[in-house]
Amino acid sequence: MGFIYTLRVLIKSILVLILWSKCEGRESEFNYVTCGSLVKLLNTRHNVRLHSHDVKYGSGSGQQSVTGVESADDANSYWRIRGKPDGTCQRGVPIRCGQAVRITHMTTGRNLHTHHFSSPLSNNQEVSAFGENGEGDDLDVWRVQCDGSIWERDEAVRFKHVGTDAFLSVTGEQYGNPIQGQREVHGMSTANQNNYWKAMEGVFILPSQEPLRHHHEEL
Amino acid sequence: MAVKGMNLGSVCCLVLYFVAAVLAGRDFYKILGVSKSASVRDIKKAYRKLALQLHPDRNPDDPTAADKFADLGSAYEVLSDDEKRKQYDAYGEDGLKEGHHGSHNDIFSSFFGDFGFMFGGNRQGQQDRNIPRGNDIVLDLEVTLEEVYSGNFVEVVRNKPVAKEAPGKRKCNCRQEMRTTQLGPGRFQMTQEVVCDECPNIKLVNEERTLEVEIEQGVRDEMEYPFIGEGEPHIDGEPGDLRFRIKVMKHPVFERRGDDLYTNVTISLVEALVGFEMDITHLDGHTVHIERDKITKPGARLWKKGEGLPNFDNNNIRGSLIVSFDIEFPQTQLDDNQKEGVRGILKQSSVQKVYNGLQGY
Repeated sequence: MGFIYTLRVLIKSILVLILWSKCEGRESEFNYVTCGSLVKLLNTRHNVRLHSHDVKYGSGSGQQSVTGVESADDANSYWRIRGKPDGTCQRGVPIRCGQAVRITHMTTGRNLHTHHFSSPLSNNQEVSAFGENGEGDDLDVWRVQCDGSIWERDEAVRFKHVGTDAFLSVTGEQYGNPIQGQREVHGMSTANQNNYWKAMEGVFILPSQEPLRHHHEEL
Repeated sequence: MAVKGMNLGSVCCLVLYFVAAVLAGRDFYKILGVSKSASVRDIKKAYRKLALQLHPDRNPDDPTAADKFADLGSAYEVLSDDEKRKQYDAYGEDGLKEGHHGSHNDIFSSFFGDFGFMFGGNRQGQQDRNIPRGNDIVLDLEVTLEEVYSGNFVEVVRNKPVAKEAPGKRKCNCRQEMRTTQLGPGRFQMTQEVVCDECPNIKLVNEERTLEVEIEQGVRDEMEYPFIGEGEPHIDGEPGDLRFRIKVMKHPVFERRGDDLYTNVTISLVEALVGFEMDITHLDGHTVHIERDKITKPGARLWKKGEGLPNFDNNNIRGSLIVSFDIEFPQTQLDDNQKEGVRGILKQSSVQKVYNGLQGY
């Protein structure tokens, strides 16, 4: 009797151990940036997040300015990673290294954009936010450069502009009022430590299952 | 004697059976209202619907509300996990006792957000005025027409900064105040000063959790699904909300108008004259059969009732599928013999009516 009892206790405790080890709480093991995800991009060299707002450049193209900010809780630092206008980017699919994407500012709906204008502080290439409702033009496309095959969330990547071949960079120049302390974001032609960006806070969409294909039994 | 013994025995058996039935655990399928063969998606849908109905905050007069809600959470936790569901199907609830981690709050908030129990997404009106709120985040979620037809769930990982207490104090609620200082007997000066309160120091720490948003059948463009408290934090107040805004993408075959679907079919001139039979593959793979044995004029429309999209408010009502036909004429020119043949077969006299086609006729 005693033997059977201890055996049952043993079995139950093994079961407990197995089940307990399986439910550590839902940690996400999903480590990729996927199409449609919302991210904040941190420049790893200068510790500022890519940011935009309804403030236009006072020089150059006069388009909406793009800066780097130190704060981590500003909703104006959210950007959505989307595919090119031809629709080849499926929701939830991880972005591959070398893939061309558009980076759309969440609150203003304008796309990260660069062109042959000079940036106001450092005379590099001006980076602006351009377009309406996520639609701009051909100069909105950037290629994600990373080692490996997929853009991983804890990996620092570079963004190379398709059209001018400039890298999205920060070199530390600061603006005065009305955007005191914000850093200039510009394009530069050389690849160096200043053009590394990492995906930080955000809403990362996981790939979905295909909606069920079922045949109507009621018909 | 034997009879009495048997009666006692059967009564004992019955009692034991009931005790066993009670102790054997709850019927999770019944709690969720789904069949034993329900898919994970059906289970998620059922949980979402019942969680809103059975939440204790929604049923303050029901003393069993908290228990019912807890049962619902346990049922979902087991049936939504493949392994736990297998064990439950084989051994009943006893087969998985002690396995309940991840409190019900975690499950509930992954579907509705942190403060999901504030129903309707409205915070208490008075609090709105006093407590500052962080920014809202609006994420455009692109959905396909297939997902609008059949429904789907989208999992996202939300990585957000969360305010945590840190050692020390900080200045908060800074404001301008008028201070009166005495310069001498009977002489005063009023100056403006910045006065701050002292608050516990706060630092922002990034935390991550998985959220799940349902693409409900029949969902319309621009509809929003809010997750309360999942937006940006505010150091002196509450976090804002995360809202998913549905954007229905264009489809290569079907066009949506309300609950109706429109599509076009090109048929050959021969098919238009002699009739044809065809199948249209619908959004979930089932086929819609079309049969014509009369002449089909260009621009003719065929209405297929019940083959449209499910209505958002009542999934049992469906719109219609409207098929418009256009004709493809033969590419090669006819020789004289064929022209005679056509005249003979069709026996249609020359019409040649001249009229203004742009003002309606």
